[in-house]
Amino acid sequence: MAVIAWSIRHHDLFAILEQMRKRSYLGEMELMVLLATVRLGDDAYGVPISKELLNLTGREVALGSLYAALDRLEQKGLVTSSLGDPTPERGGRAKRYFRVTSAGARAIKMTRTALTKLWSGIPLLEGRRS
Amino acid sequence: MIGKTSNPPKPALWLLRHARSSGGDALTGDLIERFHEGQTRGWFWRQVVIAVAVSILAGIRRRGPHFCYAIAGTVMPVFLWASVRGLPSALHWWVLTWPWSQLVLELSATALMALAALPVLAAGLAVTRAFRWSSLVLTGAINLTLITFAHYMQDFLRPWITRPIPGDLTYGRESIIPPVIQILIFFCSFLIAAWLGCRPPQRPAPNAKPA
Repeated sequence: MAVIAWSIRHHDLFAILEQMRKRSYLGEMELMVLLATVRLGDDAYGVPISKELLNLTGREVALGSLYAALDRLEQKGLVTSSLGDPTPERGGRAKRYFRVTSAGARAIKMTRTALTKLWSGIPLLEGRRS
Repeated sequence: MIGKTSNPPKPALWLLRHARSSGGDALTGDLIERFHEGQTRGWFWRQVVIAVAVSILAGIRRRGPHFCYAIAGTVMPVFLWASVRGLPSALHWWVLTWPWSQLVLELSATALMALAALPVLAAGLAVTRAFRWSSLVLTGAINLTLITFAHYMQDFLRPWITRPIPGDLTYGRESIIPPVIQILIFFCSFLIAAWLGCRPPQRPAPNAKPA
């Protein structure tokens, strides 16, 4: 009986899970990739994003890892992607441009707010002696 | 420059094409672009190996519920076998007609074990928003088929996969397959059933033209 009741209401469960997913904060890699994508604007595809991450953070991110992170962000609806035209210098392959969605921008702000709250009031990180 | 020629290594491109890595053609294009900017063949190979490894890990992650189901199905008998081994007697297998009597006697307890792990798969699919009743039914059916097949194959292969127990006057035989392999076969049957029974998770496809 309980199983039948659950099967009728399982859409509620999905709604709760969806809500939990929406409230989750960004991981370090996701946050960095999103910020680099925002900074690059219309020119945000794999190569410039990886260079931006290298220049600003000193961290070399493999392009395979970068695309895996971007795929995860796209599944969460935080970025969208579109294909450009194929070019000869890329062996006839098209560039895949990424753009941060409004949900992505909200996630960045929410993560920043949460991190700022966590940082505030810690004397060691504010340059004061505890 | 050492390790630098005009074209990227073809085996690496072939590997990238067949690995179904996250970036697909766009990733290949990016790697070729960086290569033409002056990166070495060693750098190209390293990137391809990382992309393939990341792709395999992502595949396992997407199939997380299937692995949980396989683990649950493999571990569960250890704890529950003692409780369900009396099931054939409880079902009065001897009053049934053949082949039902044989099926109940030989397979009912194992089948119950296989079905008992299904809630784990259901929970995993619900969490990943891929829950479908058809997936559960299909996975259960495939698993029962695989278990039945494995059971009768075991009987068929008995002369080759067992040996006489030395000094046993009742002519008993013992399996020559190590327990680890037996557990692995059991695990794989659950994994294959879930792999075939559940619709593969979809990757988002990029739009055809720039927004």
